[in-house]
Amino acid sequence: MASLTIDKLTKSFGSVEVLKGIDLEIEDGGFLVLVGPSGCGKSTLLNCIAGLEKTTSGEIRIGDRNVEGLHPSKRDIAMVFQSYALYPNMTVRGNISFGMEIRGIDKDEQQKAIDEVADMLQINELLDRKPSQLSGGQRQRVAMGRALVRHPQVFLFDEPLSNLDAKLRVDMRTEIKRLHSRMGTTIVYVTHDQIEALTLATKIAVLQDGYLQQAGSPDEIYNNPVNIFVADFMGSPSMNLIDSTLVERDGQLEIQIAGHGGSSISLPAPDTPDMRAHLNGPVVFGIRPEAMTDPDGADRTSPHIETRDCFIEVSQPAGSDTFALTPLGGKECIARFRADAKIELGAFTPISFNMTKAVFFDPQTTNRIR
Amino acid sequence: MSHPSQENAINAGSLTRILIYTLLIFFVIYYLLPLWVMVSNSLKTLDEIRGGDMLAPPKAITLEPWRQAWSQTQIGVEATGLKPYFINSIIMVVPAVFLSTFLGALNGYVMTKWEFPGVNLIFGLMLLACFIPFQIVLIPMARILGMLGLAGTLGGLILVHTVYGLGFTTLFFRNYYAAFPTELVRAAQIDGATFFQVFWRILIPSSGPIIVVTIIWQFTNVWNDFLFGASFSGYDSTPITVALNNLVNSSTGVKEYNVHFAGAILAALPTLIVYIVSGRYFVRGLMAGAVKG
Repeated sequence: MASLTIDKLTKSFGSVEVLKGIDLEIEDGGFLVLVGPSGCGKSTLLNCIAGLEKTTSGEIRIGDRNVEGLHPSKRDIAMVFQSYALYPNMTVRGNISFGMEIRGIDKDEQQKAIDEVADMLQINELLDRKPSQLSGGQRQRVAMGRALVRHPQVFLFDEPLSNLDAKLRVDMRTEIKRLHSRMGTTIVYVTHDQIEALTLATKIAVLQDGYLQQAGSPDEIYNNPVNIFVADFMGSPSMNLIDSTLVERDGQLEIQIAGHGGSSISLPAPDTPDMRAHLNGPVVFGIRPEAMTDPDGADRTSPHIETRDCFIEVSQPAGSDTFALTPLGGKECIARFRADAKIELGAFTPISFNMTKAVFFDPQTTNRIR
Repeated sequence: MSHPSQENAINAGSLTRILIYTLLIFFVIYYLLPLWVMVSNSLKTLDEIRGGDMLAPPKAITLEPWRQAWSQTQIGVEATGLKPYFINSIIMVVPAVFLSTFLGALNGYVMTKWEFPGVNLIFGLMLLACFIPFQIVLIPMARILGMLGLAGTLGGLILVHTVYGLGFTTLFFRNYYAAFPTELVRAAQIDGATFFQVFWRILIPSSGPIIVVTIIWQFTNVWNDFLFGASFSGYDSTPITVALNNLVNSSTGVKEYNVHFAGAILAALPTLIVYIVSGRYFVRGLMAGAVKG
């Protein structure tokens, strides 16, 4: 087990710079999730850590060891690939033992290691089958078994669940989380699924266009995004980002938001020097759907709830909740109501805004206004 | 009238069907006729050939022409039959096929899984090797064989065919391995496998179809080659194609057509057998490179 430090890492393919100076760290035993849209460089970053891609500049340290120039097999890592990458010509047993065979570990010890891993992942009865005879979930287990048997310092997962169906994905997610808490090995995990990121990680790094946008605990990333990109990317349904104008009335800052037709609502805004700098200008008001609810469903522990009448256009029952769509700031905003809340379509309905969860962004720079 | 027979087949009326079969049968006969002429005439006596119809079956079957062609007939100055030349061809073909197949696989592996700057240029140049006519390389090749001291030997012929086959074998393997998942190679690298361990343990065991295709292709080409054989072989390294020519084209004595037919079949037999035994792998292998999954 070891910590992992990435220091000013850049990576170019020809003239295309894919990673533009990444600084990132995960402590020993942590679970780091790299998340971002396709093409953001997260898989490239993982391959750099694995040593499958040469870095252009910067440093990667596993524990105290700079792994620059070290062959992948010498970095004390194990990797689970998106396509599982099981050797098609070998049995499950052969797949798991291949690495040990290459390293010249003796047969008895190999057997012991295989049994141990097979027990842990419950793949005992599959050991003599070929990968083509396995289902998606079984292949996934075998791929993890192949990684586990190495007892590495760091596990690398490259979108391991993206080829599974929805139900299996949830099961395997739980399984990975359980494995992590049982073994306590440092994990770096790449995904584009923000739910996976939030449920698994102890630390999330959000990447976009080769830049690290924000790194922090899931709670930080979710509740305190540093810019509009992170706010919008994390969470499902995503955060409502509402165009509004910041004004001062009776010495109080408030934002004015255009509603249905010619109506508008105003909500109080925090009085900070940064906010005052945007006085009488546009600001983006960000609020998560679950912080916009029917008054009965509002968070009673929150010290600051504001209730306003909003026009409901559409409602979408989703079983556990009902999503209500209301036009605010020229866009459809999603409010999350209790499943059995009474919603009258095409009428003004009170919505409670949990203002302790509200965040504000500068529409020009897209950065957070604190 | 139209009820579904096979899912992918186009439904056709019975009249169309009759037309299709008639046409197919006609072409089958058309293609098989030369083989029939060769086989039937190789089993006739010389008198019967002179006196009669080429297409008629033999009146009395005799294996004498075959015996003659194999071990007795006059080729060049010696009455050895085709046997020693047949053996020469085997000695030449087997190493040439395996060397060019192996090197082609290695090239394909390097070009797809260990990409280096200029890899596409090099591949382009190797492709060019497929299109260079034999005649152009004759003189430079003769010079090189002379310098290596391999002129007029079977070793020289093996070298020539290996080098000349590389363009095709590289093309085959490169295209096959391009569709081979790179993640498997990466997984093996993380497992600590070396360059050659990845090749032997991961790639080669998954290359069955393309190996068969390459072997058939190379075997046929090398076995049937005449120009290189005629140009670079010596007195005791003549391949069977050249010997067959010497047999048929000898300007002295009686033209023994039945022996010529038997000799021609003997010379064609190995490629025929290779096709019959593994032809279906050939088609399957060509498809495997084209369609993923």
